[in-house]
Amino acid sequence: MNARFLFPHRLKKWGWGILGFSVLLMGKLLLLGDGFDLFKINTHNAWLAFLSGGQSWVPDDLTLTISGALLIIGAFVVAFSKLKVEDEFSSRIRLESLQWAVYLSYALLLAAFLLLYGINFVDAMFYNMFTVLVVFIVRFHWVLFRQNRFARHEK
Amino acid sequence: MKNNLKIMRAMVNITQAELAERVGVSRQTINSIEASRYIPSTLLALKIAKVFGVAVEEIFRIEAGD
Repeated sequence: MNARFLFPHRLKKWGWGILGFSVLLMGKLLLLGDGFDLFKINTHNAWLAFLSGGQSWVPDDLTLTISGALLIIGAFVVAFSKLKVEDEFSSRIRLESLQWAVYLSYALLLAAFLLLYGINFVDAMFYNMFTVLVVFIVRFHWVLFRQNRFARHEK
Repeated sequence: MKNNLKIMRAMVNITQAELAERVGVSRQTINSIEASRYIPSTLLALKIAKVFGVAVEEIFRIEAGD
């Protein structure tokens, strides 16, 4: 029973670590409104260079960029790493969870299209980028947890 | 689809974990098959039948409405 296009199981714990770290970074930025000094650097702005004819380096905070990238990488590895025993039943749960995630993501997208305008719509789009991975991870692991609970009562 | 996997296991005295190991799936998969929450593929059904040395139909049977 081959599980194609999945990462090895040993990477899963690394995925959880990266995901947890990225949530801490993003949590600090979004809750306290301030990033980390380490990530505050000058970045090159080509458009500004074109307009000003010289000055093109502007101070920037890369906390959101780095935490967002780490969140995507961590969540991707967690979502698509093999289980200890990967079989046809786990493949089915994986497929169903992916379907749930896509349905929910597009339901939120539709709601955002109809109800939100301007900067609120952009905000909603930003968060919706993570919906597919987050819903998939939550649903997939919830079903596995329930199956483990059922199986624990049997010999 | 109904199955009598639990009875077959009891007859040869093997646990879900042992059966799972012999057919190369997780214990949760065997548990879900026994509880009729999951219908196995033809390949897995054949592997399970081979463990017990019987035909697939002796373990799995179609119900009206399937």
